[in-house]
Parts: sequence; structure tokens; C-alpha cells
Amino acid sequence: MSKVGAEHKPRLGCNTTSFQKKSRSKLVSIPGTRPSVQNGQLIVSTGVTSLDYVIGGGLAVGTLLLIEEDKYDSYSRMLLKYFLAEGVVCGHNLFIASARDHPEDILQELPAPILDDIASTRVEEGQTKLGDPEGQDSMKIAWRYQNLPKVQTALASSSRFGHYYDVSKTMDAEMRQTTKCNSFFLPDELPINSATEPSQMNEGYMALLRSIQGVIRREGFDGATPQNKSRNILRIGLHSLGSALWGDDICCKENPSNASSLTTFLYGLRALLRSSLSVGVVTVPSHLIQNRAIMGRVTKLCDTAIALESFKGLEGETNPLYKDYHGLLHVKQIPHLNCLVCEVPDTKDLAFKLKRKQFTIETCQTQ
Amino acid sequence: MLLDIMQVTEGGGFVIIQDSVDCCGRQLLKSFMNAALKREEIIHVLGFEVCEDELRAGLDSRCIQRLYFHDGFTDPLGWTECPALTVHQFTPQQISARIGHSEQPKSVMLVIDSLSWVLRHHPATVVCQRLQELRRGGALKSILALLHSDMHQQGIVGSVCHLATAVISVSPGTSVKHAVAKTTRRTKSGRVTREEEYFTVSEDLTVTIEAQSMHSGKAQAEPEEFEADPAANLTFNLRLSEVEREAKEKLSLPFVFSQEKKSALLHHRPGAGRILYEPDANDDFDQEDPDDDLNV
Repeated sequence: MSKVGAEHKPRLGCNTTSFQKKSRSKLVSIPGTRPSVQNGQLIVSTGVTSLDYVIGGGLAVGTLLLIEEDKYDSYSRMLLKYFLAEGVVCGHNLFIASARDHPEDILQELPAPILDDIASTRVEEGQTKLGDPEGQDSMKIAWRYQNLPKVQTALASSSRFGHYYDVSKTMDAEMRQTTKCNSFFLPDELPINSATEPSQMNEGYMALLRSIQGVIRREGFDGATPQNKSRNILRIGLHSLGSALWGDDICCKENPSNASSLTTFLYGLRALLRSSLSVGVVTVPSHLIQNRAIMGRVTKLCDTAIALESFKGLEGETNPLYKDYHGLLHVKQIPHLNCLVCEVPDTKDLAFKLKRKQFTIETCQTQ
Repeated sequence: MLLDIMQVTEGGGFVIIQDSVDCCGRQLLKSFMNAALKREEIIHVLGFEVCEDELRAGLDSRCIQRLYFHDGFTDPLGWTECPALTVHQFTPQQISARIGHSEQPKSVMLVIDSLSWVLRHHPATVVCQRLQELRRGGALKSILALLHSDMHQQGIVGSVCHLATAVISVSPGTSVKHAVAKTTRRTKSGRVTREEEYFTVSEDLTVTIEAQSMHSGKAQAEPEEFEADPAANLTFNLRLSEVEREAKEKLSLPFVFSQEKKSALLHHRPGAGRILYEPDANDDFDQEDPDDDLNV
């Protein structure tokens, strides 16, 4: 009836095990996190189960995920909202920073979670098929396989870590208000007409870094809390860093006046993340950055890096193989955290599709 | 889509008309302004590139009093004593102050002719931040700007267009009369639509769409493959006659259950596949982890 001890299954090529290591009571048990089966790190879900699978089970606490935006920032913004919505559902604290839209607006657009049991959503799909026994899809002999998908293209691990969201509805206000959310909206924090003095880091980034540091210290995510407070994770979501609205001109010029401003900020941010119980997701409009070397440095400074390429942004006709999908997903980097090898997905041809109830990432089937 | 954008009545929009030396976009700009004037909107123009008379020419004379021209053409850099509008006065506070003078209800459109002029005198990041501030300010309903894409580096054009809700690039078409407009529109929900159209602007500033150029939205007709019938030309008979087919359908297969039992087995109960285990007397069912006493 229960799992017997803490066995170690042989490592399979893909992460489809439902094995969960029995945790000892000494480890921190924070809701919404679990130890990774690969390297024992504490991981949280990104909000998208397919993405969790692709980056090796989830986002490790203390690391930074870089999302290179697609051309019109539709899907990267959606991923950021999934990440924040997952934080609300798990009860984590949030920190949202943006220079374009007010963080309150982003919070109001969070998708509503589907809180039923995951198995029951499958039942709904099965019931509609059963109503028509003479239909095309019903099988006479192999009827037990009727409800299974034809080809297992969606990537997901079978353990229930992470939730599903319905993008056509927004989250209820009561659910949102239960989480503590800190926000940083650049036009409110810095006056626009302030003269920019040459310094190591752009003023906007400096203010943001100080704000994050302040929140971590004040709320005690770095372990400085008194003992009676229970531990929680801080989810940091930074929207569109490096764009012109942050006061950074790496998107405007090939020789920006301060090319290392963003990279210095990321270095400082990663130091803060490593020393506290927090997870960071940053979106960067890489298609606007003129100097290719900067993007390489930015990727190296983040732990996990993915890039989204939407088919809407492409000129001309797209490959007919891609008509079912909305874009391609490129995994640029996966970190080695306290281990020598990291789990990478089997194939590099990953395509994503934003459906109403799920953001699926599938391997492109080449016929 | 060009006509839709021209007639859009909801606020918060930022439309950029991108043109180049080959094809001027000012006529299209004026037709947008004309359409807004007919919709009883108030237009404030920050004019840096052409003089007032030239811009007012051709616009509907009945609604012309709703157009306020802020003259940045005569003295844009403030060389005389009292310039009307200088390029350094492109700040949200000053623009809101100028618009606020008219004291009209909130259906004000700001037209910037042209944004390239402003971008030559201010850093692109500052211009972007100020434009975003103007959009959020609430004094304006929408902003329309003309941008000369060949005057700037690609990064600047890209950064500014990234802020826009609709970008219309005009370029010369195959015939002299028509120009091509490639429109990209982004809605608030994140949906992006693109279209390419041939258009002309007539003397009274009405836009007519001539023909829709075939874009990649058209589904390609896939060549149908002629599949050979494998059951033909054989020495034995693989086909069924009607009688034989009926007999086959009537045959009852093994493991064919009634409909209720089938649905009961297919119904995916949560927790299906539970392992029920009762420890025996001989089983050593120890809950502790045997690795606990390792001194690692």
C-alpha cells in the first residue's frame, strides 16, 4: 500500500519515473517543492509541466531561468504568467518587476488553475468517445486502448508536480490576495528625467537589485528569520530586461554605451538567488539585441536558458510540418548542479503549442 | 486590416507608419488623421518636418478646427528667442500641458510628424520611456507616429516598433499608383496578425485597398498522391462480398464484453493500479532507510 523504503531505480534515459525519494525529516519541506530525482536539489515547478520535463524535472531553488522572448512577446509573457500563477497556487511569495506594464496588470492576467484531479480531465475526454460505439474511433477488438493517445508525443513525467491552467479565465481575486506579492515598476521607482551618470550598472538595474535584496533580507528568505516563521520560496519574475524601457541601450545600438550593465546585474542577481530560497525567471528580448556577444554572455550567466521562436514572427511561408504548432522551443543551456552530467531531452526538435488548458511542448514529428 | 486600424475606436493604441525614401508615408498619415477628424476626435500634431499649411492641405475643412498644430517646424532647436515648440520639449509633462490647454474630453489623438526627428536628438531609450509614459498618462487616447526606417539603425527601429500596437510599413508596389502596406497588429491578449495589402490614397484622403496580395495564410494545395490499390491484380481474392461482410460483422469475438462492462473497465478511476500489500510474518518491513547510519 505504501512505497517500500528508499530504493534507487536504475537511471532511465528519460524522466518518466514516478519514483519519489522518501525524504527524511531533516530536509526542509516547503509546499510546492520536492527533491529532484536526479541530483537531489530542491526543485519547483515552472507552471508548465512540459517545460518542467524539458529542463530536467523543474527549476532548482536558487537558480535563474532565462527565456529569450519571441518576436512579439506573446508566449514568453505567457510563460512568465504561468510561473507566477504556479507561485500563487503553491503559496509562494512573488516578486514581479516590469518597466512596461504595471505589475498589478500582470497579476490580474494570471490564468486560473484547473484544480480538479488531473485524472478526471482525462475521463471527460474518454466519455465523449464512449458515447459513440459505432464511430470511427471506437475499436472492436482493441477497445481497451481506445482512450489512449495514438502516439506519445507530449512530454510529461507521470508524477503530479505542477498544475494545469486555463488561459481563457483569469485567476480569482481571492486566490491572488492570499499571496504576498512585491512589485517593482520602473517608472514609479525612478523619475524619467533623471540624468544617467556613467556607472558600473544602469540606474534601473541598480534600483531593481537593491529592491530584490531588500525583499530577501526583510522577509528572511536568506535564513535570517526567527525560528517561528515557516520557510517559503520567493519567486522572482523579471519582464523584458534589456529592453529600451529599462534605460538600457543594448537593444538600440551595436556599440552600446554600457554593454556590461545587464550582465553585471545578472551576476548580482544570481549571487542573491544562490544565497536565498528563491527562484528567478527573466525574459530578455534577444531578437532586438544587436551585439551577438552580449547574448552569449547573458546565457552563460543564467543557469537554464530557453529560447522561444514563434512562427508569427517569421517572414514568408513556414514549413508545412509546423502547421500544428505555434512555435519552436530551443533549449540553450541546462545547468550542472552538484553533479557531473545533466539530463537533457532526447531531441532538439521541440515545438510548442499554447492550447486553452495546457502549454504543450512536443517533439516535432518529421514524417 | 489597414482600414480596420484606421477606424479603431478603442484607446491605448500606438500606431507607427514606417516609410522610407522610396515611398513616403505622409499621405497615409494624413488619411488616418482625416478619418479621426471625421470621428469627432481632437488631434494634436507635433510637426517637425513639414509646415502647417502643407499638413492641413487636403484635410476635411469642416472638421479642421479640431486639429491643433504645434509648430516645431520653424524653430525646432530653439535658435530664436521664443520658439513655438522645440524638440527638447518632447517630454510627457510638457506635452500633457499643451494638450491640457484645450480642455476637451478624452478623445485626443497625438500625431508625431515625425518620430525620426525626435530620435535624432534624444537617445532611443529616453524616447521609448517617454512614449510609454505618454501612453499610460491618460490624457491621450492614441498616438500615431511617422518613422523613417532608413534613417536609423535597425536596433532603434526594432526597439520603437516593439512598443507599438500596430506597425504599418509602406513600400513601393509594382505599379506606380499602388503602394504595398505590410501591417502587423498586436492585440492586448497577445494575438498577432499580419497582412499585406495594396492601397492607394486618393485626393480627398480616402484609402482604397486594391487587391490583397497572396500571403502565406493561404493553405497550399497539397499534391494528392495516387495510392495504388494493393488488393488489385492478385491471384487470390482479398475482397469481401456483401453477404460475406455481414457474416463477418455478426461474428462474436472472444473477450467481447457488454457495453456496461466495457465502460466500467474504460472508466479511468483515480488511483487505478494500486498495489495492495499486506506484509507477511516473514517480511522484514522496516520503514527506516538503511543508509541512515552511514557516516557520509
